[in-house]
Amino acid sequence: MRECIIKKEEADELDIVRLDGALDSYSFPRLETTLNGLRDSQRNRVILDCGGLDYISSAALGALIGFARRARENGGDLKLVRLSPKIYNIVELLGFHKILEIHSELDEAAAKFRNG
Amino acid sequence: MMEQPASGAFLATFLFFLLALTSGALFFAVNVIRRLRRERDELNHQKEVIFGFIHDVGDVFVHSEDVDLDRMLSRVLFYAERTTHAGAGAVYLYDKTEDAFRARAVSGIFPPLTGEPDARLEKAVSKSQHIERLIRARPIRRGEGLVGEAADFGVPILIEDAERDPRVPQYDHEFLRIRSILLVPMRFLQRILGVLVVVNRVDGRPFIQADLSLLQALADQASVSIHYAGLRDSLDEKQRIDHDLHVARQIQTALLPKAIPRVEGVELAAFNHPAQEIGGDYYDFIRIDEEHLGIAIADVSGKGIVGAIMMAISRSVLRAQAAVNRNPSEVLMAVNRVMFEDIAEDMFVSMLYMVLNVRTRELVVARAGHERPAWSRAHEKSFTIIDSPGLALGIADKETFEGALREETVRLKPGDVVVAYTDGVTEAMDEGGEEWGVDRFLGAVSNAAPDGANAVLNNVQQRLMRFVGGVEQYDDMTLLALRILE
Repeated sequence: MRECIIKKEEADELDIVRLDGALDSYSFPRLETTLNGLRDSQRNRVILDCGGLDYISSAALGALIGFARRARENGGDLKLVRLSPKIYNIVELLGFHKILEIHSELDEAAAKFRNG
Repeated sequence: MMEQPASGAFLATFLFFLLALTSGALFFAVNVIRRLRRERDELNHQKEVIFGFIHDVGDVFVHSEDVDLDRMLSRVLFYAERTTHAGAGAVYLYDKTEDAFRARAVSGIFPPLTGEPDARLEKAVSKSQHIERLIRARPIRRGEGLVGEAADFGVPILIEDAERDPRVPQYDHEFLRIRSILLVPMRFLQRILGVLVVVNRVDGRPFIQADLSLLQALADQASVSIHYAGLRDSLDEKQRIDHDLHVARQIQTALLPKAIPRVEGVELAAFNHPAQEIGGDYYDFIRIDEEHLGIAIADVSGKGIVGAIMMAISRSVLRAQAAVNRNPSEVLMAVNRVMFEDIAEDMFVSMLYMVLNVRTRELVVARAGHERPAWSRAHEKSFTIIDSPGLALGIADKETFEGALREETVRLKPGDVVVAYTDGVTEAMDEGGEEWGVDRFLGAVSNAAPDGANAVLNNVQQRLMRFVGGVEQYDDMTLLALRILE
C-alpha cells in the first residue's frame, strides 16, 4: 500500500488537510497528530480532502468520527470531501454518511462552513 | 731504580682505573638493576591491570543473560574507568529510529562533546546532574563530533593532549575541562552499535596506547552482549504481541458456536477463517423459541485483546436481548444503547442480525453497518441483495442510530439460499494485491447454491483459497449460509 502523504493548508478560517495514499493503522497516527494539533490551537473548522485517498481502514474511519464529534462540540466540524466511489461505498455501508458531513467538492464544504 | 716510581705511578693509575671501572660497572649494574626492577614493577602492575581487567570483563558478562541493557552498560563503564584510570565516561548507543547516537550510560562529570552547556547550568542546584541530563537528552548525529567520527570510521581515537586539539570542545569551567580523551567504537559483525568514551585520567597523565588496547578489548566484549540484548528486546516485544494475539484468539474461539445447531426445515453452514492479525469476526445462531432462529454475523473494528473484549460484550448483549425480543431491529437498538454508553468512542461493531421464522419462512433482516446479505432464489441465476439501512453499533447516539435503522422482510421459498459474510472474504488479496471482490464471491455462491448451504460454503472456501494462494490474510474471513429445505 502507498504511504499516506498528509499536507495541511490554511485558508482563512478553515484548515484543509489533504490526504494522498492509504490510511491504515500505521499511517493513521500521523493524521491523528495533525488533527490533534489543529484542535489544540483552537482550529475546529477542518476539511479533509480525500481526493488522493485510495484506502481507509475501518478503525481510521471510526477515529475520524471522534474528531468530527469533538470539533462540533467546539463549534466547528470535520467535513470530508472528494471521496472516491470505493471509499464512499465503505462509508455508506457502515452508515457513517449519517454522522459525517460529506461533500463532493471542496468549495461546497467551504461554503457550508461560511453559511453555517 | 728508575722504574720504581714509574711502576708505582702505573700501579696507582691502574688502581685508579680499576676503581673507576669497577665503580662505573657497579654504577652501571645498579642502574641496570634499578631499570629492571622498575620494568618488573611496571610489568607486574600491567599484569595486575590485565588480570584485573580480565576479571572485570568476566564479571560484566558472566550474568549478561539476565541483566538488562542499562545495568550492563553502567557496569561496562565502571570497569572502563577502572581499567584506564579515567575520571568520567559515557557509552553512546546507536538509535535506529533517530538515526543518531544517544548516551545510554554516563558516569562521573562527563563534559558534553557537542554543543555548549546551556545557560541554566549556572543556576542548576546539582551541576553534575544538570550536565548528565544534558548529555542524555542531546542526540549525536552520524559524523558529528568525535563520537560521530569514531563511529563513522569505526576506529579508536586517542587524544593525549586534548586541550590543543581543535576537535575537542574547550570549557571555562574547571570541572568540564577535557585534558585527555579516548574513544573506541563498539562493533558487531561490521555494524557500529555505539561508542565508548572515557576522559581525563585521575592521575593527571594522558591516556596511553595501552589504555586504548584495553578499552577496545572491553568494548569488543560489550558489543557482543549489546547485540544480543537488542535481539532479546525485540524478541520480548514479539513474544508479548504473540501472547496478546493468542489470548485474543482464545477469547474469540470461545465465543464462536461450538457446533452448528440442527433446525428443522433449514440447512445451516458457517465458517470462520482466522487471520494473522485478529480482525474480530463473530457469528452466532440463537434459538429464540420453537419457531424463531436468530442469525448474527459481526465484525469488530478493534484488533487484538481490545477487539476480542468488544466482541464478548456485543455477544452478551445480543444474546440477552435476542432471548426476549423477536424483532431484530429492536434487538440491535438495545445493543447499540449499551455499546454507545460503554465502549470507546472511536470503536464500533458492524453487525447483521436476522430472525428466521422456520414455519412461515419469513426472514427479517436488520443491518447495523454490515455487509448486505445475498439472497439466491431457487432456479434463478441472479441474486437479490437485501438492503436495509442502518449504522454500525456503538458509534452513534440513540436518536441517530434508531433514526437510521430500518428492517427488511423477505419471504423465502424452499431451495432459496441466503449468505452473509464479513469484508475479509471479499477483500481477501492475492500475491499481486488484487482483491477477490464481490463479483467473484457471488459467482462462487450461485454456482453451488443448488446443492445447498454446505456446498456454497465449500465452493467459496475452495475458490477463495485458490485465488489467494499461499498469501497470509490480514483480516478474518467469515461466511454463513442457510437454505430453506422442502
